[in-house]
Amino acid sequence: MKNLLRLITLLVVMTLVLSAVGCQGRETSTPATEASTGAPAEAENITLLVWDQAARPEDSAIMDAIVARYQAAHPNVTVIREAKTLDDLKSTLPLAMSSPEGPCISMINQGQSDMGAMVAAGLLRPLDEYAELYGWYDHISPGLVALNSWTDDGSQMGEGHFYGIPTHAEIVGVYYRKDIFAQYGLTVPQTYAEFEAVMETLQQNGVTPITYGGLDGWPALHLYSEIQNAQLAERSWYDDFMFLRGNVTFDTPANLEAARLLQEWVQKGYLTEGFEGIGYDDSWQMFSAGEGAMMLTGNWLSADLLAGPNGANLGFFLVPPLEAGGYKLNVGGAGAGYGISAQCPYPDEAADYINYLFSEETAEALLAAGSLPVYPVDTSNLEDGLLKDIVAAWNFANQHDAVGYYFDWVTPTMYDTSTAALQELMANQITPEEFVDKINADYVRFLNSR
Amino acid sequence: MNTLILSGRKWMDKLIASLYVLPAFTVYFIFILLPILNTLRYSFFNWTGFSPPTFRGLGNYQELLQDPIFLKAFMNNLRFIVYYTAFPIVLALVLTALLARKNLKGRNVFRAAFFLPYIMPMVVVGVVWRWIYNPVFGLLNGTLRAIGLGALTRPWLGDFSLAQPAVGVIAIWAQFGFCLALFMAGVQKIDEALYDAAKVDGASEFDQLIYVTIPGIRDELLVALVSTLIAALRAFDLVFVTTRGGPGNETMVTTLYLFQNAFQLNRMGYASAIAVIQTLFILAISYAMLRFLSSRQ
Repeated sequence: MKNLLRLITLLVVMTLVLSAVGCQGRETSTPATEASTGAPAEAENITLLVWDQAARPEDSAIMDAIVARYQAAHPNVTVIREAKTLDDLKSTLPLAMSSPEGPCISMINQGQSDMGAMVAAGLLRPLDEYAELYGWYDHISPGLVALNSWTDDGSQMGEGHFYGIPTHAEIVGVYYRKDIFAQYGLTVPQTYAEFEAVMETLQQNGVTPITYGGLDGWPALHLYSEIQNAQLAERSWYDDFMFLRGNVTFDTPANLEAARLLQEWVQKGYLTEGFEGIGYDDSWQMFSAGEGAMMLTGNWLSADLLAGPNGANLGFFLVPPLEAGGYKLNVGGAGAGYGISAQCPYPDEAADYINYLFSEETAEALLAAGSLPVYPVDTSNLEDGLLKDIVAAWNFANQHDAVGYYFDWVTPTMYDTSTAALQELMANQITPEEFVDKINADYVRFLNSR
Repeated sequence: MNTLILSGRKWMDKLIASLYVLPAFTVYFIFILLPILNTLRYSFFNWTGFSPPTFRGLGNYQELLQDPIFLKAFMNNLRFIVYYTAFPIVLALVLTALLARKNLKGRNVFRAAFFLPYIMPMVVVGVVWRWIYNPVFGLLNGTLRAIGLGALTRPWLGDFSLAQPAVGVIAIWAQFGFCLALFMAGVQKIDEALYDAAKVDGASEFDQLIYVTIPGIRDELLVALVSTLIAALRAFDLVFVTTRGGPGNETMVTTLYLFQNAFQLNRMGYASAIAVIQTLFILAISYAMLRFLSSRQ
C-alpha cells in the first residue's frame, strides 16, 4: 500500500514536470500586430533590441551616444544595443530572427547567404514604404539600394523589395605616409603605372611598399579586387557578374592579368615579408606603429590609425585607374544595412529609429568620430587630413557611380573558395590560370544550380 | 499464489526504480539523444537551418565523399593524430620516467608546470601561439634572428608546408601535460619492489620503462590514447583561432568544415552529414582501440 502511494505521488510529479517542459517547447505566440496599424499610444513604453556591428570600443561608444540622443527625444522608447562581430552575426542572426524574442532591428550582411536566405525564409520586413515616407532614396545611390533589394523568394538581388538601409559607407583605398612619400619625392599616383612606380621606388630604398597580412585570408580579396578594378575601364562586366545575369563568367583577360600582377607584387617584394603568417589586426597595428609606407585596406581603420603614432602623417587615395582621369571601380559600398525583423511587434518605431540612424545629425556624429557615413557630408568645412581625404574619396566614387563590389559574396561558397585560392596564388602554389579556373568553377557551378 | 504476489511486488519495485531514473533520463533525452537523432535525420535533408527542409536521401553523403575539401580535411584530421596523440604520449612517457624518480628535487613543481598548458583554454593557447609565430615581431623568428639563424625564419602559420606542423606543435604543447598527469598517477600504484627486482636483474632505465612502467600503467595509457585520439579527430578551436583552415585548405579539419557549412553557408543538412560521418568514425576507432587493448590483457 505504501509502495502504491509512492508510485502515485511520483507519477503526479512526473506528469507535472513533463508537461511543463512540453509547454515551453510548444508555445505558439503570435506577435502583436496592432502596433503596426495606427499611431502608437503616447504612453506605451517599448523596447527595441538592436544588433549592430559596432563591436570595437571606439565604434561602440559612438553608437551609444547616438542611442542616448535618440532616447532623449523619444522617452517612451528604450533601445538596447548588442554589438556582434561579423562572424557572430552571420552565424547567429537567422536563428535569432526566427524567434519573437530576437532582435527587432539588426544589421544584415548583404549577399545570397545572408540577406538573400533571410528574405527567402520570410525573416525580414520590406522597407519600401518607409523609404518613400522618409525620403531615404534621395541620399543613397540606386546602386547601393540594389545591393539591398531582393525578390520575395530571395533568388534575385537588385530587384523586388528593399530590406536594409546602410548607414556606414565603406571604401577600400590606400593609406599612405605623407612623410615617407616626401622623403623619396613621391606624389599620389594618378595612373596604375605610377602606382607601381611608387612601390618600386620604395622597395628599392628598403621601405616596405605595402604593409600586408594574409593569414586571415580575406585581406587578399581587397588586394586582388583593387588590381582587378584597375584593369577594367567600365563597370558593366562587374554588374553582370555580381547580379548573376548569366551572360558573363570569371574567365576574362582582365581577371587573369590581375592574378598575374598580384603574383608579381609578391615576387617583387611589394608586400611585407612573411605576410603569409601575419594576421590582419597585427598588420594594421604594424602599419600604425610605422612599418611600411602604404596599406591597402578600407576606411574602417581610420579612427584607429588616426589615434596611432603616425596618424597626423597619414593620407588616403583611391587606387588609380589605368589611364589618368579614367574610370575605375573601387572595392567598397555600404556596410551591412539596418533591417527590421518580420517578427518585430513595433515596425513603425523601428523604422523611425532607423531613420534617425540615416540622418544628417547622425552622419555628422559618425564623421566626427572617424567613421564614414553613407549620408553625404560636405567636405568644405573639414580640416585637411586623413578624414577629409577619405570623405572626398567616397564622394568621388559615389558621384561617379564607381562604388564597386566585394566579390566574395557572389556565391555562398565564394568566400571560402576565393580566400583559399588567393592564398594559394600568392604562395605560388597555383598559376594565375589555375586561379581563374578555380574561381570560375565555383561561379559557374552556382549559376547552373540556380 | 504466493509467488504471484512476490513477482508483482518485484515488478512494482522495478517500475519505481525506473521512475527515479526518469527525471535524469528526460533531461538526457531532450538535450543529448534528441539532438543526436535530429542531426541524423537532418543529414538526409536539404536544409538552411531556418527554411522548411526538403528530403534529399543519401545525396548529402554522396556529395561529401566526392568533396575534395572534406576529403582533405579528413586526411588532415588523421595527420593531426601524430601531433595530438603520438608525440604527447611518447613525450609524456619519457617525462614520466624522469619525474618518477623519488629523489628528483622540485618534482611537484615540474608536474604542475607541465600540466599548466592543458588547463588553459585552447583559444588562449591559440592566440598566444599566433603571437609567438608572428613572422615580424613573434618570439620564434625573433629568437632565430637574435642567434644568427635569420635564414630559418618563416611565416610559420601561413607557409603551405609548415602550417600543419606549426599548428601540430601547439597541439603537442597543449596535450602532453594531460598524458603526463595520467601516467604519473598510474606510476604511483606500481610496486617499488618490481623496480628493485628489475635492477637486481640488471635492467637499464630504458628496460625498466619498457618492462615495468608501461605495463604498469596500461589502463592510463588506454585512457590517454582514446581521449587524445578523439581530441585529434574533433580538433576545432586551435585551428579556428590560428589559421581558419588556411593557407589554402592546408589545415582544414572536418569540424571547421562542418562549422563553415552549418553557420556560414547555411547548409545544415550537409553539415549534419559531416557530423554523422565524424561521429561514426570516432565511435569505430574508439571501439577498435578498446577491443584491441583489452584483448591483450
